Parts: sequence; structure tokens; C-alpha cells
Amino acid sequence: MVRGSSLPAHLLEAAELAESVASAAGLTFFEVVFEMLDAGDVNALAAYGGFPTRYPSWRFGMEYERLARSHEWGLSKIYELVINHDPTVAYLVRSNSFMEQKLVMAHVFGHADFFCNNAWFAPTDRRMIQRFEQHARRIKEHASQLGQDRVEEFLDAALSLDTLIDPYGAQRRLRAQGTESAGEPSNDEQPARREGRSLVEESSARLAALQGEDSGVESASLEAPSAAFDSPFDVLGFLAENADVEGWQRDILRIAWYEAEYFAPQRMTKIINEGWASFWHSRLLTGGLLDASEVIAFADCHSGATAAAPGQLNPYKLGIDLFRYAEERGDDIFRLRAVHNDVSFIDAVVDPEFVRRSKLFAMEPGSAPGRNPVVGTRDAEEIKGRLLSQLAWGGQPRIRLESVQGSGQGKLILRHEHDGRDLKLDEAGVLLRTVGRIWKGPIELLTQEGDEARRLLFDDDELSLLAA
Amino acid sequence: MGGQIYRMQADRARFKEVVRGKVRRDLSKYMATTELMGRQGGKTVSIPIPSVELPRFRFGSNEGGVGQGDGGEGDEVGDGGEGEGEGRGAAGELAGSHVLEVEVELEELARMMGEELELPRIQPRGHKTIETDAGRWTGIRTEGPGSLRHFRRTFKRALVRTIAAGEFDPENPVVTPIREDERFRARKPSPRPDSSAVIFHMMDVSGSMGAEQKDIVRIEAFWIDTWLRSQYESIEVVYIVHDAEAKVVDQNTFFHLRESGGTKISSAYELCLDLINTRYSPENYNIYPFHYSDGDNWSSRDTERCVDLIRDELLPRVNQFCYGQVKSAYGSGQFKSELDTPFGSDDRLVTASVSDRAGIPAAIKRFLGQGR
Repeated sequence: MVRGSSLPAHLLEAAELAESVASAAGLTFFEVVFEMLDAGDVNALAAYGGFPTRYPSWRFGMEYERLARSHEWGLSKIYELVINHDPTVAYLVRSNSFMEQKLVMAHVFGHADFFCNNAWFAPTDRRMIQRFEQHARRIKEHASQLGQDRVEEFLDAALSLDTLIDPYGAQRRLRAQGTESAGEPSNDEQPARREGRSLVEESSARLAALQGEDSGVESASLEAPSAAFDSPFDVLGFLAENADVEGWQRDILRIAWYEAEYFAPQRMTKIINEGWASFWHSRLLTGGLLDASEVIAFADCHSGATAAAPGQLNPYKLGIDLFRYAEERGDDIFRLRAVHNDVSFIDAVVDPEFVRRSKLFAMEPGSAPGRNPVVGTRDAEEIKGRLLSQLAWGGQPRIRLESVQGSGQGKLILRHEHDGRDLKLDEAGVLLRTVGRIWKGPIELLTQEGDEARRLLFDDDELSLLAA
Repeated sequence: MGGQIYRMQADRARFKEVVRGKVRRDLSKYMATTELMGRQGGKTVSIPIPSVELPRFRFGSNEGGVGQGDGGEGDEVGDGGEGEGEGRGAAGELAGSHVLEVEVELEELARMMGEELELPRIQPRGHKTIETDAGRWTGIRTEGPGSLRHFRRTFKRALVRTIAAGEFDPENPVVTPIREDERFRARKPSPRPDSSAVIFHMMDVSGSMGAEQKDIVRIEAFWIDTWLRSQYESIEVVYIVHDAEAKVVDQNTFFHLRESGGTKISSAYELCLDLINTRYSPENYNIYPFHYSDGDNWSSRDTERCVDLIRDELLPRVNQFCYGQVKSAYGSGQFKSELDTPFGSDDRLVTASVSDRAGIPAAIKRFLGQGR
């Protein structure tokens, strides 16, 4: 069913039509609610990640400035925002033409189907609007008691760790619970998970001990979600439950963890999700939703969205190409969208024929600094390998807890699983400081520079880079 | 909906505070680079902020990417591309980091600089304060054009008159204004002090002034302009370059010209004096001549002439005369001491020597630290 209290009649009618066509094509979704927004407000909402109420932070202001500037300069325009929620909420921009609104609606039903049916979204919290409001309220409360500067500083610290979670953790927990998920997620991260078992056990024992403790905030009444730390990759969850911090700080770490977990599947499914939505908007619109007079405008808009800019991979384009190719090859595309994330999707579909048709190439650095990159090999294996490593782990370096030495606040050792790509060591140093301040003990990061093993140590407020 | 918009005001304001804090912390760094030059719009300057983002574990640059399109191996990947149409705004998602540019008002920048260098506010010289008639529509009078009729006042008068005359009927409250009731808005003159200033930037462009020396000069000139602009309602800037001869040039030429030849400093001072006498009368302007050179002059005769010009002609007319001596490999660096000796105790003449970029803030503080 479609709802949209703020929609004018002709759009509501279009939405109902789009829904029935989408359902007839086999898409299934939660109820979809459309809301109207002014062009100015859409940038603000997008800066907040699509949710109206977030905690106060300058980072949202920065994101807004970036979006508004880019809109002002005509570099980008947001047509639509859709959030993973039950009901699925989609925002239409008032300044869109009627054809654009129809396109956006069809696109939204594609996303709504993806959110509802893709295995990686199965563990996500579908009541996140309220949860974000709750988080905002709690952080404001902390700020009113402790001062904005203190809370903001700690919040920034917690947020800079929000990539240090296990993007597969939620899925695994869900399966451990025996809950039926919509499909069988593929596992491309299996081997790494075996190690660190003892650490996990030790920590879950601590976690159990901690749960008896009153964290200072009325966490019980507000249902503070505790980070369900159970993976060596979940550094943020580990700190949230084991660092020796004050109650309000633990609360902020848990909030950062919870929100990071919520957004993690979106980072891992950018290409497949946009590809799926674009595949369906294109099919539904050309399959009858368009008026003949709108075909040219639609083609223009669609090809703009799926344009390949030189030197960049457009997730809309790559995604739609993959689905069209898979369908042509005779794959069950509904099953593909149910079980895959970007990495496993590309692994399953990309073959030499696809590389050739999509004109993919490896990009090599330009002949001199400041020069444009150059076209490298068109070898399918090489290209596929690059795509996979670029997207693996949500595009983030894989950092895991190696060990905790000592029973109290001993030394915390992190390991960067080097895959040929180095870390930015200066920035890593800054982040290590952040971790050190939260942990209140020495922190070590094991990594590599090229083939050389490196040890980055933060101890006693001193940062040092050592050969390992 | 709508709630998030109010919230966004607060988050944007906070972001701007964070940026300002960052700019303020790094101000001395900005004051030693040419980075902000040419970034002025009318009232703002856009400042690149490279690292306001949260630190993260990130990959360095040895990451191989994948592209899409035609082209043979070794062809350059173009960055323009024809007819791409409007993207949906998410296409850059896989690309690298970005530098954010933030607009900071020149006033704001000047205030930060003032705080950083502890500059006093300038007291414009009293007799140069011009009273301008900046009238505002706050007055009321009994005559005027219909377009300026003040309806509420008019109606009030009419109501008072009707009641006083005992003609007001609460059952039928009709009030008809007549000619005597009419009131009109009027301009009320409110005199406002206005002060104008003129800056003369004079630069030695003889052979011994290299690119680095000129960069130092232009950085100084930028910050001096920024500060003085924040202190005066209206300001004019005159650029003069000289080797053995002096001429007035536009801003662009001032910053990019490279000449070679001898150096006759008095030529610049004479031109400056001439302009003061003909166009920028001390009665109407606060006058700030700045002269930058490497301290080399043509002859001691000319240096004497310069000292005479400063003492007898320029100092009586200007707020303050500043000389900045930029160290160069070729210049003798004599001129500063030749000025310091005769004028040692006269605080209308300020000299400073700048040996490198790091010395710029100190020189600016010397020039502007007197609040003249």
C-alpha cells in the first residue's frame, strides 16, 4: 500500500499506479510512504543521512555545506531520498517534473524491494527513525549536563571509529539466532573469522560482567542497546563494552556502534542496490508508466544518472549493467538481489564478456604527478580482482583486534590485514591517539609499508613508528 | 516536516565555528603562504580546509582503480567528457578525498588577525571624519505624498478626533480621516561619521627583487589590506612600482611585474606625494603609504632626498609611513638603517625587516600595532 499525506492528488495516483505495476512485476516491499520536500530541505535531510532527527554535530553542517555548494554549482542534484525502514520512507523533491517524479517512484520501489528482500538488510533495525531520535535526545542530555564541547569531542572520537566494526557481524548474529533470513548470504570473509576466538570468549565473559553494572545513564529505561561485540573486527564494539570510560562515554560509544551497524549494509550494497533500483525504474517506465511525450525527457534523465564519467565507476551504471547482463545470461535476478552484496555480486556475474561489453579497464597513474591517469590493461581477471579488492570490506582497510595483553587496561594490539594497499600512516597515527585516549592504555597497530612490516605504537602520549 | 531545517541551522553554525577555530589556529601558517591570494570575492575569502574531516584508517595512494570507456592502453583518461548530462550526485562515491573550501568573511578574517597579532583598533584622525547624512524613514510629518501616508497614524488621529467630537458610534464604528488627520513618513537625518582611507603600496621591482621577495611583499600587502579594510568604511588602494622611475599600475601588474634596472626610491615617494596633493587630500583621507624594497638605493644623494621627502612632505600628511625591507641575496640592506637613524624617535615612521616568510606576521604587527 502506498501512503503520502503530503502528495497532491495526481502524484498519489501516479504512486499507486507505480506500486501496482511494481507488484505485478514481482517486487515485494514494506508499505511505502512518500513525502514531499523543497529542494533546499532535501540537502539538509540528505546531510542527516535521510533521517529528520539526529544528534547535534558540526559534521552534518559540513555535509550540508558540501551538498548545497555542489547543488549550487550544478554539479549534482538529488532527485530522491529513500530510507531503509518499515514503512519505507521516500522523499520526493517538489521541483522535479512529473516525469521525474514517476521515474523516482519506480526507482524507490526498486530500493524498497531491495531493503525488504536482501539478506544483508535482514538484521537491520527497521524502526530507526525513532532510534535516531532517541540517540539525539540522549546526546543532548549528556551535553546539557556536561557541556557541549566535552560531549562533542568524545562524540567525534567515537565517530572516527565507526568503520571499525565487522560489516558481517549482524548477519552472523542473526543466523546464530536461527532466524530465517530471506536468502543465504554468501561468505567471502570466512577464513579471517576463525582466529581471535579466545579473545571473543574472554570478552563475552567481561561483557556479561559489565551488564550487571549501572552505566550511569538511565540506560535501562531508554533501552540503551549494548554493542553485541563478538568479532575480532568489531573494535568499536569491543571498546564500547570493555574500555574503562565513564557512563556517558560508554553510552556515546554504543550509539556510534549502533548507528554504524545500521549503515554498514548500505556501504556494502551500493552498486547492487542502485543497480537494482535503476534496472526497475527503467523497466517499469518503458513498460507502460511513461506517456509517449515523456520518452525523450526520460531517456535524457536516465542516461544522465547512468553516465560513465571517465576515471570513475558510476554505481548506477555498473549495477544496472550487471543485472541486465545476468538476466540475459539466464540468471535468476531475484535470487541475485536476495543473497548478494557488491563483492559477491561482482564475483558471481563479472566475466570476460562483461568486462569487454562494459569497456572496463584498469586505471594506472599518469605519467607525471598532476597528469591524468592512463588506461591500463583490459584483462578481465586483473579488473575483476581490482574491483573486488576495492569493494571488499565496504572499501575500508581491515583492522582487527590481535590481542589484549594483561588483564586490566593492558596493551591493545590491532592488526591491519595488509592486502597490498598501505594505510595512510599519518592519519592512522591520529586515530591511534583517539583509540588510546578511550582505552587509556598503550595501543599498537601492526601494518606494512609495501613489504616492510611496521609497528605504530601509541604509549604514554607518545606516537612512534617502529620496524616490526 | 521542517524540524530538521531548524536543527540544520545550528549544525551549520557549529561547523562554521569549528572552521573558524581551525583557521584561527592555523592563521600564522596562512599568513606565510600565498594560498589565500586571489581567493577574495567581494566581501569574502574562500579558504581551503584540508583536514577538518575525522581521522580514519584509510588507504594510501598505492591503490589501483578501475575505469570505464574507450581508449587503448596508455591513453590518458580524459576528465571532461562530452555530453555527460546531469548525474544523480552519487557517481563520485568511489572517488577519493576532497578539499573543502569555506567562505570566511573578510571582516571575520581581519578580526582573527587582529586577535592573533593583538592589533589595536585604528583611531581615525578626528578632522577627517566626514558627517554623512544617512537618513532613515523614522520621522512623521503632516504633509507628504500619498505614497508615504502612514495609515495607522492617520487612522489614530481620525479616531481621536471622532471621539473628541462625540461623533463616535460603537454600534457603527465608521471613522473617516479628513485632510488634517493625515500623517506621512519622513526622513530623519541621522549623521554618521564616515572615514575614508587610501593605501599606497610602493614596491621596488629592480633586478635584485626576486620572485620570493615579491611573494613576501604581496602576502604582506594582502593582510595589510584586509586589516585596513576592516577599519574603514571605504578604502582605496594605489599600487606604485619603481626602479629608477616610478609609475602607478593596477593590482595585477603590481603582483606580477618583473623589471630590472637601477633603483631610485625617491621617484616613488615623489609620485606618492604628487597623488596626495592632487587626489587624496589629507583633509578627506587617512593616508597609509607602505614601501617595500630590498634596501638597495641608487646613491646616498637619493637616500638623502628620500629622508627629506619623508620628513618635510609625507609625514605631515599621512597617518603613518611604513617601510618594509625584504632580505634578498643581492640587496645591500642599507636603506632601513638610513631611515632609522634620522627618524629614530618619530613613531609616525615604522620600519621592519623581513628575512623570510615566517617573519611576515611580526612585520605586520610592527606596521599596524600602533593603531594610527
